[in-house]
Amino acid sequence: MPSANFKDDLLAEIRNLRAFAISLSGSVSLADDLVQEALLRAWANSEKFQPGTSLRAWLFTILRNIYYSNYRKRSREVQDSDGFYARRLTVPGDQESHLDLEDFRNALTKLPAEQREVLTLIGASGLSYEEAAVVC
Amino acid sequence: MNAARVPKFEKLNPPPDPQAQASPEAVQAIGRALGAHYSDLVQAPLPDKLLQLLAKLDDEQSAPTNEGSGNAVG
Repeated sequence: MPSANFKDDLLAEIRNLRAFAISLSGSVSLADDLVQEALLRAWANSEKFQPGTSLRAWLFTILRNIYYSNYRKRSREVQDSDGFYARRLTVPGDQESHLDLEDFRNALTKLPAEQREVLTLIGASGLSYEEAAVVC
Repeated sequence: MNAARVPKFEKLNPPPDPQAQASPEAVQAIGRALGAHYSDLVQAPLPDKLLQLLAKLDDEQSAPTNEGSGNAVG
């Protein structure tokens, strides 16, 4: 049974984990499946987590393993019909930056998943280079 | 219509040079966009499906025995 601390730490990382999953897969619905599966796996394997290391990096590693081993092929088929996440998630802000963000997201989906992943890990996820290197 | 005046596509969009370096301004702009993109995703509300899963894990944890950790601060 995972400790209460572990659970709290896990809760604190969920939004980040989901953001990473959406960036990685380019699909909100797929990302939610990935997060669900990763959470269950993390929960069941909590004793394998080494305290003092980055829980975020550990969770990202679990999630990307699930993605690359089970979902990747399917995601290629799903991606377009899913309705792109920019339209679904964006909080209405000022018009100009909203447009920029949408353009940026469209450009991001054109990258291969591996490149999108590295950009996200290094540029936005809050992981250090060393932690990002462990994930990939 | 004067075809000769139409610039060649290749001239406008030369293939990327693998050695080329993006300008510092471009790198900064990409970094900012990436940050905005990601923080927008982080702030998005969690779907019911995940909230339900979390509630389930929570129940599972508190259900078997309350180990009576009283005022334990953690």
